[in-house]
Parts: sequence; C-alpha cells; structure tokens
Amino acid sequence: MAYTPSRRGLLQAAIATSFAGVGNGCDIAAPGRKVVVVGAGLSGLNAALILERWGFEVEVIEAKERVGGRVWTLDHMPGSPEGGGNVMGANYGRVIHTAHELSVPLRNPPQALPSDYAVGGERILRQHWATSDANPLPEAWRSTPPGRLIAKLNADNPLLSTRAWHEAKLMAADQPADEGLKALGFPDAAIRLINANNSYGNNLSETSLMALYRIMGEFGRLSGPALAVKEAVAGNMRLPEAMASRLRRRVALGEPVMSINTLSSGVQATLASGQTVEADAAILALPIPALRQIILDLPPSQLAVLDDVDYHKIVQLHCVVDEPFWEAAGWGGSWWTDGLLGRIFTRPIPGSNRYNMTIWINGDDCDPLNALDDAACTDAILQALWQLVPGAKDVTSVGQLVRWSNDPFAGGSWALWRPGQAGQAHGAIRAAAGRLFFAGEHTAEAYRGMEAAMESGERAALEVMRSLS
Amino acid sequence: MIPGRQTRCWLAMSACLLAAATRAAPPSGEQLYDIACLSCHSLGDAADHRVGPPLGGLLNRKAAMVKDYRYSEALSASGWSWTLPTLLAWLSDPDTAIPNNAMNYVNPLTAGETQRLGEWLLQQP
Repeated sequence: MAYTPSRRGLLQAAIATSFAGVGNGCDIAAPGRKVVVVGAGLSGLNAALILERWGFEVEVIEAKERVGGRVWTLDHMPGSPEGGGNVMGANYGRVIHTAHELSVPLRNPPQALPSDYAVGGERILRQHWATSDANPLPEAWRSTPPGRLIAKLNADNPLLSTRAWHEAKLMAADQPADEGLKALGFPDAAIRLINANNSYGNNLSETSLMALYRIMGEFGRLSGPALAVKEAVAGNMRLPEAMASRLRRRVALGEPVMSINTLSSGVQATLASGQTVEADAAILALPIPALRQIILDLPPSQLAVLDDVDYHKIVQLHCVVDEPFWEAAGWGGSWWTDGLLGRIFTRPIPGSNRYNMTIWINGDDCDPLNALDDAACTDAILQALWQLVPGAKDVTSVGQLVRWSNDPFAGGSWALWRPGQAGQAHGAIRAAAGRLFFAGEHTAEAYRGMEAAMESGERAALEVMRSLS
Repeated sequence: MIPGRQTRCWLAMSACLLAAATRAAPPSGEQLYDIACLSCHSLGDAADHRVGPPLGGLLNRKAAMVKDYRYSEALSASGWSWTLPTLLAWLSDPDTAIPNNAMNYVNPLTAGETQRLGEWLLQQP
C-alpha cells in the first residue's frame, strides 16, 4: 500500500523546505551536494561523517529514539552489559581508529568465567568433558570442547582470500552446512552440537557451509600489533553517540521513513510524521528486515533478493548475580548447553563483587520464546536456569530481555547466508539503484559485526561521491 | 567581530563556489586515502594505535620493515619494495599480490582511483 502523507504533514514539509532554502544559500549554488542517510547505526554514521568531511550536506534520519542501531549498551544495568554489538576484534581498524579520534576509551574486556557444559540434560565439569559418559563425541573428537568444534573447518578451509566466498569454482561449498559437514567427516554428534549454538545460521540445514568457511577464515586472520579484543570502557554505544555528536546536523530521531521516491533530480524521503526530505542521493543504512518496510523504487529482481535474506535470531536475558553461587560446586560460572538456555556467559563487573550473566539463545530455539510476551519469555528462561543451577535462584536478578527478531527496526541480529546465496545474493543486495545506495553490515565484503558496518559506510560514501561528482 | 552582511554574502558565495568546484572533481588522492587507508594507516613513520603500519616515506621502502610492527610471514618473506607497480598490484588485490597476508581488505576503488591513490601515497614524506 502506498503511503500518503497527511495534509498537515505536507504543510509542515512545505514550510520546512522554504526555510531551508532561506537558511542555506548553498542549496542553490551547489546542487548535487545533499545526501539523506536512513539509519543512525555505525554504517550510516560513518558514511555521514565521511561525506561531511568531503563537503556534502548530510541529513541522518533514525527510526528509533536513540542512535547506535544494533549497538545497544544496557546503561540501566550494573556493569552496563551489551545488548547488541559486544566485541571489537583486534583487527577492527575502523572501529578502533574512530574511537581513538573521538576520545572514546577502549579496554580489554574482563574475561568471561570458565565454561562448563550441560549436554543431554547432564551437567559436566569442564575438566571432565573429554572423559564424561555424557560426551556424545567419538573417541578422536572427545577432547574438543563443543564450542570449538566448528573451528575444525579451518583445517581445510578452501577460502584463501577475502573475496573467495563468491568464486564460482568454490560454489560446491555453497551447500547446506549439515550435509557439508557430514561429507567432510564430522560425526553426527558433532553436527548436532554445532547446531545447538550456531551463531551463523538459524539451523545448519539452512546455513551455507560457505558462510561458515567465511566466518572461520576471518577468525583465523588477525592483523595488527594487539590480538586482544576490545570494548568501550563506558559501553560500546558511546562510539555511535560520539560519531553522531560530531555531525554538523543533529540526527533526526524517532522518524521512521515510509517511502523513498526517485525524482528527476534526486530522491524524496517521506517520513511517518508526514514530512518529506529531498536530497540528491540516499544511503539506506539499515538492516534488511527494516528496509523491507520502506517503499522503494528498486528493480523487481533486487527486491526479490532482499525478500529472501534471513536474519539471525537471538534472545538474550541479561541478569546480575550478587554472589558466585557456582564456586562451592567447582563450576566455572559460565555454561555451554545444548538445551533451551544455549550459552551462559558470566563475567565480573569491574570494581564490584557482582557479576553480569547473559543467557544467550540462538537460532530456531528462539521461536517458541519469541512467541511469548516479555514476562512469559523471561519466566521460561528463568525456570530453565533454576533447573540447571538451583543455587542461582536467590542471588540472580533480571535486568533486561533482548529480542532482536521482535524489534521492527532490526528484525534479527545480523544477515545470514543460506545455501545458494554466497555467489550472487550478497552483490545484489548492495547494488546501487539510481540515487539509492546501501550500507549496513550485511553489505560488507571483508568483515562482519561492527567493523563490517564501518566498512560498508566507507564504500557507500565513495559510491555517492562518484555518483554526484 | 560580527561580520557585516556583505562579508557574510561573500563567505556564503565562496563556500558555494568551493562546493561546486569540489563537486566537479573526482575524488583526490588525499580523499581516497581518507576513505581507503586512513583508519588503519597513518602517514607518519612510527606505529600508533592503528592496526596497520604507517605509510609515510613509502617510496622504495622494503615491505614489512616498520619497527615493532607485527607483519604476516607472507609479507615479511615477499622481498617486495614499494614502488608504483608493486603498490598498485598490492592495492588492487592484496590477496593475489601476496597470498596469506594479514590485511583483511577489499579495495572498493576503481583502477583509476587506485592509480591516483598510489601516486599520491608515494609522494607522502
């Protein structure tokens, strides 16, 4: 259904446009210099900052009431855990440099506590994993912790370059990961364990083996003098906030974009408030599920690809633990499970005796939880936690439930590549269409996560600059 | 001092002319460095917070020779020196130029832009 702005909105837009004309004579003298960026996550903000450095007028529009997108620090909780982007890799050059330039201090994060296991309903101390009767792996595989099984892909990773995951000669690997792993000799029990907490697909049959090769290859390739991961001392969201504050024009918050029309001389974005914003080009820097809600002039083939990309499902329950209930029994404090709880990451809150505990559930296991309301979802997770570690009950409090799939402006945590999508889909979703350009982690070539967002902003800014030169 | 109306008009016109002039030109070497290199490489001669080695004084410098920087074995063993042909080969496709290098990077520049960037980089002290 086409969106029709209200009469009041049209009037407001007309007034705003006329004042903009009075206030900025450059609109007349320097046509082709205004860019509207939709989305104030890292990708949109990075593109905006680059374009401003190059003399463009940039207007950033954000649907949420905050900047940062899928970088979201839970500032209301002790320890300020990360509800979104949480790891800055040692080779995240753009992230590290931007933080340095904007005086956002980074640190090596406090280490997560050691992880024990809960497999097939049995709890297993980490030192007993290799010999436990509950370890389902065959003899040659038993000593590998379940979370490290997928890393065995790097023993024979065919991706020898950053771009290789698109190469036609390697497309045999663009197959369902469960079948591919079996063909490579992974035992069924290993495949089942990998599937239990696969961060790169909602289930292995709908995950491309190529995507897993790509991830593992990236993990294996670090550069730079420091190998330790980093985080912002005061929370990762301080980085996008600092980027936004550096822009000449304040980010427009709480303004979902309904449609972007292509005009003879540029683009016109219509906001949910009814206002319109005209520019010479638009960068769409938002996740694909959010992009799908905007009416766009795109070729049908590109729309079809955009409709076909899955996003990863994550449910997180962020808790605070007052006492280390795990110590008396010799547990480490974190757990890797093949059940409802997925993985439990616990780490000390610096400068206190308390701990942040994040229960991190991946993939299709999120479906029944996402069908519940917040209270029922939280209760279901807590009941499973009390069953696993009854001692947690009296010393653990809930701080925040995070469900990216249920967020209409995210639709999931990151883009996934299903079997058959490695070759063409990635190129198609980021192809510029007239004056519409695309950014976001899903469009990046070399990286994933926060660095991918930054990388994509660079590329989109360059494309705009070429187009408007 | 608050500028008078005439001065403000002149400033506005200058800004507009500058913008229009910039608009007509393709990205300069410096702008291409800004977008393609700056986040990971300074132009000085000493390693800083950035994850890549500095690029100052690059012309005829042997590859993998910046003190205290941890290079890949592949680049260290390459025997390369940085001249326009080697730099263009590296920038165009680092993985093909020296496989198993540590620079996880896909060059978004056109061949012409890469040439302009390479020429500019080699002039930096």
